[in-house]
Amino acid sequence: MATSQNSSGPPDLDSSSPSDQSACSRSSNRSLRVAEIERRKNEAEDPFVLALKYFSDVEAGTPVTGNDDVERNLVAVERVAYSKGLPPEAISIMLEFAMSLRMGTSPCVRVLKCLIPATVVPQEAVVRAVVWLCVGKIPLSTQVLFIKWVLTMFDMIDAKDQLHSIYGFLFSFVTEENLVCVVMILLHCLRLFRVRKLLDLQSKMGRQPFLMHLLSLYKVFCPELVTLSLPSRMKAGFRNHNSQWKSALIAVQKKNSFQVTSSVSLTVRLKDKTNPRKRKHNHLEVPALSSAVNTQTNPSSSRKLVPLVQLHSFSLLLENLHHIELPAQMGSLLGSSLALQYLDCVQDESAFLRLNFWLGHALHEEFLFCSSGVSQNSEEVLQFLDRLLSSQHFLQEGFSSTEAFLYKFLNIWDGSLLRPQILGMLSNIPVVPSSCIRQLLFEPLMQLFFTSTLFFKCGLIECLNSMLLKWLTWHSVYALEDGLDISLNSHTSINMTLSGFKDSLMELVHFVGRLASVGLQIEGCHSLLLSFILDFYETVCDMFLKYGLPLVVMPPAGVFYPALFATDPVSVDRLAHIMYRYKVNLMSAKTQEKQTEQAFHISRQTYREFNHYLVVMVNCLWNSKMFQPGMGVEMEEELLVSSKVPQYWSSFDFIHHPAFLSYAVDFHHKCWPGSRNVDFNSIKHPKPWGWYLEYLYAQGFEGLKQFVQSNISRRSTAGDGQGDGLSADQR
Amino acid sequence: MERHSSVAETPVNSVMVQRRSGSKSFRQSYRSCVGAASHLGYTPGLTTRRLTTSRRAPRSRTVTESVNPEQLSLLVKKEWQLSYVTPLHHFRHTQLRSYSRQLLAFIVAEKQQGLAVALEGAESSLKVVFSVVEGMATTDDDADTVLIQIHSKSVFASQDDPRRLVWSGWLTCINGSPDYVRSLPKDFVCLPLLCSSGAQWLTSLVKSWLERAFDCCIGSLDINSVNLQWLAALWTNCHPESNIGQLKLMWTLPVDPPLEIAFTVHPQDAWELWSSMRGQLQEEEQENEGVGEGAGDKDSVDIDEVTRFIDGLKNHFYRHFRLDLSAGTLSQVSTALGTAKHSGRIKISSSSYMNATLMLLTECALLKMPV
Repeated sequence: MATSQNSSGPPDLDSSSPSDQSACSRSSNRSLRVAEIERRKNEAEDPFVLALKYFSDVEAGTPVTGNDDVERNLVAVERVAYSKGLPPEAISIMLEFAMSLRMGTSPCVRVLKCLIPATVVPQEAVVRAVVWLCVGKIPLSTQVLFIKWVLTMFDMIDAKDQLHSIYGFLFSFVTEENLVCVVMILLHCLRLFRVRKLLDLQSKMGRQPFLMHLLSLYKVFCPELVTLSLPSRMKAGFRNHNSQWKSALIAVQKKNSFQVTSSVSLTVRLKDKTNPRKRKHNHLEVPALSSAVNTQTNPSSSRKLVPLVQLHSFSLLLENLHHIELPAQMGSLLGSSLALQYLDCVQDESAFLRLNFWLGHALHEEFLFCSSGVSQNSEEVLQFLDRLLSSQHFLQEGFSSTEAFLYKFLNIWDGSLLRPQILGMLSNIPVVPSSCIRQLLFEPLMQLFFTSTLFFKCGLIECLNSMLLKWLTWHSVYALEDGLDISLNSHTSINMTLSGFKDSLMELVHFVGRLASVGLQIEGCHSLLLSFILDFYETVCDMFLKYGLPLVVMPPAGVFYPALFATDPVSVDRLAHIMYRYKVNLMSAKTQEKQTEQAFHISRQTYREFNHYLVVMVNCLWNSKMFQPGMGVEMEEELLVSSKVPQYWSSFDFIHHPAFLSYAVDFHHKCWPGSRNVDFNSIKHPKPWGWYLEYLYAQGFEGLKQFVQSNISRRSTAGDGQGDGLSADQR
Repeated sequence: MERHSSVAETPVNSVMVQRRSGSKSFRQSYRSCVGAASHLGYTPGLTTRRLTTSRRAPRSRTVTESVNPEQLSLLVKKEWQLSYVTPLHHFRHTQLRSYSRQLLAFIVAEKQQGLAVALEGAESSLKVVFSVVEGMATTDDDADTVLIQIHSKSVFASQDDPRRLVWSGWLTCINGSPDYVRSLPKDFVCLPLLCSSGAQWLTSLVKSWLERAFDCCIGSLDINSVNLQWLAALWTNCHPESNIGQLKLMWTLPVDPPLEIAFTVHPQDAWELWSSMRGQLQEEEQENEGVGEGAGDKDSVDIDEVTRFIDGLKNHFYRHFRLDLSAGTLSQVSTALGTAKHSGRIKISSSSYMNATLMLLTECALLKMPV
């Protein structure tokens, strides 16, 4: 019925609104004084103002039927209401008009329906309306409509103190549907006898949904008074009061770009019933947020604590940040995004312990103790772990219970069950001391790595890379704050020292080096695996400059050579980039060491390794001096000759390297378009060589460019055209 | 052999303590709260993983003297289903009255879904009583045992009929690992063992109430075959002082269909086998003296003795029936002192040696702690 009446409203209003806006923008250009005059003039003629005047002055008993004035003015009000919303005064006037029934009940409903506030609803208007309600002439359906209206607009009422004082009156309206009105008030004042009365009512009326909802709200606010368990099939929340109002309100608010955030959501949060089928074990169910009954706080002495359940917005959370009462079950924090924000600033250790007990219990029961085996990839497990991961991601740290769980679980994991989730959790574990990292982490991981597929290997390397990144970030944040040596301000011996941290990190990097070497061998230097490994070394080579950690670890030969001789140019290019970054890091470490004469130093062995790799790379790619004695790859002369590869010493230079051969051919075609025979030696002349390098750089090989430019000083006029100087002699 | 491995593990565990604390220190340093003596720095989960390899032989009458016999009679001669409970948060032994009310209201509310129940003066045919069983604890660290009883009155009973006990359960901690118990913050009470008996629906309601009220987690606790072997040996060890009736062992063999083998041993035979094991070991101990003082003690029982005892029984069985029991798992042990099942059911028939059994079960429960 409501729709048919109002359907004419919005469309013709929409047509008028653009002209309103344009008038507005035009007037904004003029001076304020002129605008003021204009406004007054407009007001005097504004049909809306006139209409309000009409409704506030109209005499009681004026007939409605056939009265064109009423119709015209009502349309004027409706037009404004649906386009911009009504200002507070207008709300007062119209509500007063409607509830006083000055013109009978028929316009009353229509007016109520268009009471869309632009900003706020004045409290007095509501109170007056309630007074009219008590007079009792209003038909029941209209009463209900009014109460629904109050409920919908509850957040927009400017003050609530007087409403609280008429709580008793409102409570007396507790008859079927009207009851809902009590809900809003009870949010702020609750008394014991009210609970009693409701319980009496419930015993009379049975399990009415609205009563249940009301009582469950009591449960939230006064857990010590009432207990209730909701049937799982109950629909959440009250019936949507009036979606029409809501949508109109939202439309108006959007137009006014003014958003009243709904501070009170009148829905009772039920556990999300994703799976109607009851599981045999429900360890993974995140408990519902509920306030604690057994709080030991002394109400007289301590500040008033606000249970977390009662906070519904971030701003409320901020306001109450220092007196929030933790929920009855800490596990419920994982279920609410708002609570997670709070968890980040909880400093209560027992709170974390409670959370860890719950989390550890859930994980243990599901994956370790469950005799029937882990339910394979069931939806719930996935959801739970994803939620856990996103919480850890949000907090940027792992829970200690997941850590303890993983150490056990890794020993029985098959490497495929929930792989992304498990690896995700693994990458979140905090720094493990070097003394036990082997037993806890490396041994189970090594077994998994060598017995699993290529994709698992890639996944694991990626996971270890992100673990390394997190450890480094962690270090760079905390170490900077506490000074270089973390142990300095610790009073006990249990803190982790910088050298301890370095040891752990070194263990990790060496471990990945070993995995990578063997992994590449097993998988035939698969370029996908190689790519993940190079990702890892991209992190490693920059540890000093990016994260301020005085530690440089070179890749093992098992990684370096496969990358250098890779058949895809991307790997070679990335290796060149990594070598370049190593150089930059080592150089700056050296200068810093000289300047500050600080105790930290990077071992000569590292410099030696770096120089060795550098010489190999330059000889191999640039100087065409492969297989020379003293280099990493040596072969007997006779063997090489018997292989019948012509000019074997140059077979891995920029031209003949399998990764760049196609580029060399292409370049040759471009340089000497006519020649049929591809003679690579012609590229080696100084000028084409320079062009060839430029050509390679133009293909996007930035790493090569950096490497060549930083390590090789080309004598532009040199006869043989091949740069030979190694500027990198850090010893 | 187990002993050696445990010795080798000890340093690893002690390092573990450092590790946790180390990682905590990062958090602390940037939160710059809480002093260095932090509670999160402990790592009970990993330190207590170590299996006990030597126990004190049970002594009789330690409990019977200190505990009210009326309460004690409620605990014995009943089959209990075991569960482990993570430490209870904000549990107060002084609040038991209020817990009674809360649990009652919770049960009533759960029974009639959707009907709210006032906490004060909820009317019901049920009655919940929480009580403390004093004198059970063996160390100062042990929290007092709490007994929960639910009585019910049938619909047709008259006003004066006494309520019938329909469910009972108790939370206990006997000689819980002091490392673990002390490492917990002050607002936790560690009562890791829950024994329950009664209707299944009440068990699950009580459990979920406990979980909600004290933010703990409860899971089922089974008694693995090593612990069943321990019980068999410890009970047999009591024979000279108190007749153990018969030593009954039940094995489950993994064949299709599953084969259950019950093996009953005359108490005197069991005792003789056991004491010969003990004697044998003690002699060896004396020969290569000084390896360990504890094992040679008359008071303590070593895991080696226990496995030899069970192996002796198995060998005996093999001689007679050509069936090798080591392929199966020990699923039940029973004597006149009590019955323990692999599924986590236990019946303690004699209060005299109750403590030793409960100590072992407390230890099993603590091993299940997730953190």
